Amino acid sequence: MSQERPLPVITEQNRGYWAAAARQELVMPHCTQCDKVFFPIAPVCPFCFAADPDWKKVSGRGRVSSFVIFQQAFFAFFKNRLPYAVVQVELDEGPRINANLFDLKPEEIRIGLPVEVTFEKVNDEITLPQFRPLVRGT
Amino acid sequence: MTWDPRSKAAIAGVGTSQFARDTGLTTTQMIANALRAALDDSGLAIGDIDGLYVNAGGDFDKMAEQLGMKVGYAMQFWTHGRMCAPTLQQAALSVAAGLATHIACVYSIDISERGGGFGGGRSHGHEEYREGGGTHGEMAHYGLTHPGSGAAMAWQKYRHRYGATQEQLGAVATTTREYASLNPLALMQQTYTLEDYLASRFVIEPLRLLDCAVVNDGAVCVIVTTAERARDLRKKPVYIAGMDGLHAGRDEFVFAPPGLGIWQQPQSNAAARATSVYERAGVVRSDIDGFYCLDSFSPLVIFALEEFGFCKPGEAAPWVAEGNTRLGAKLPVNTNGGHLSEGMLGGWAHQVEIVRQLRGECGRRQITDARVLQFAMGQGVSNIYSNEKL
Repeated sequence: MSQERPLPVITEQNRGYWAAAARQELVMPHCTQCDKVFFPIAPVCPFCFAADPDWKKVSGRGRVSSFVIFQQAFFAFFKNRLPYAVVQVELDEGPRINANLFDLKPEEIRIGLPVEVTFEKVNDEITLPQFRPLVRGT
Repeated sequence: MTWDPRSKAAIAGVGTSQFARDTGLTTTQMIANALRAALDDSGLAIGDIDGLYVNAGGDFDKMAEQLGMKVGYAMQFWTHGRMCAPTLQQAALSVAAGLATHIACVYSIDISERGGGFGGGRSHGHEEYREGGGTHGEMAHYGLTHPGSGAAMAWQKYRHRYGATQEQLGAVATTTREYASLNPLALMQQTYTLEDYLASRFVIEPLRLLDCAVVNDGAVCVIVTTAERARDLRKKPVYIAGMDGLHAGRDEFVFAPPGLGIWQQPQSNAAARATSVYERAGVVRSDIDGFYCLDSFSPLVIFALEEFGFCKPGEAAPWVAEGNTRLGAKLPVNTNGGHLSEGMLGGWAHQVEIVRQLRGECGRRQITDARVLQFAMGQGVSNIYSNEKL
């Protein structure tokens, strides 16, 4: 098994998302016709089929919608992170995205937990949007 | 007025290769073994096969070339269990329309060759990145690397919403393995108590090892023909009575029932999916003598029972725990031992079991007087079978 971290493949479709993450911004595809934001990244708006969606910066806040805790590594890279959590976060703007949750023990994660985005830089090209518990009053 | 496909096609023969953790065989070798067994079962010869529908296991043209087939109607489906029932539906429609007479539908999986199965290994994330994200919800850069993670995400949400317990989920794992212990073909023959289940390690919490399918090699062949032709063959015909298709779109997530709010699904406490499969088969739900569903992960059984209306949302987990899916109870489920213990064959071994149940060939796990059986899985796809022309 390779020790390398599996990384997303950048395409013409998702380039804007990863470029924003590298600037420490979370963006969602946004429909210029019906004004909705959506996920996953798509070539058209899935609500009105309008072409050429652009990118819209979102608050980066949301709540844990569901989560899992990996107790087994299927890629060697994740072995020394075990056990690790993957959360599904429902952003305040609506779409749900997956990420890891930092700064909280896996056993303390609950559905409904308020979270905010943080960024994990992997290399010059890839920075991963991640989440941490929302600090009250910020 | 539309044409009615009810009971126009039938299954003439079924066959399997050996199921094993690692057969050491190629998928084409395993398919050859399954095809030979299905031909023996039906009384047909290889020269009678004029259609080849491949769900998984290789390219149709190489396969036909190597197996010495001459077919006039070949089809290639996508290599996932979700395409099992749709493959059979297309075969049923094709023979009914006269495009072919005896269609061999084949599936083979060679997980051992992938070097570690799904979720890693030699493929190094191919599955996780195809289509801009894995088709079971995988995202390998976050370590979300295994098909089971989608089912685990869904079960976490489900138990939060309905208060279902891990003991109730354990009833799926233990009941399925009781059935497997009665099936000589099953890879796992061992039975487990609820205590064994609760002591089994978490793989992707909240799913334990005993909530996950066996990982194996194997092949299945199902021969589909017309209802008329099936009556002249070796075994009693099993009619494809009713069909409903595979649903797709943002409301669907492969491992969650509609409305659970997984991935981009809307959240609603909706009742069962509106399905026309019962109406199309000419039956009502209470006519179903046994239920078969894809069970690569044990929550999928609970979800399927609710999706198809055997239980209301949130009620299937306690219903299974009460023993309602055991042999002789209200609704036997996956009497073959399913993916959880018979073997991971993309739903195809479930079809073999349905056919054998409807012929009364299942020995100690036989459902008494089985007449109407249903195969169904997430995303709304379902076939209803009967040993009578409904």
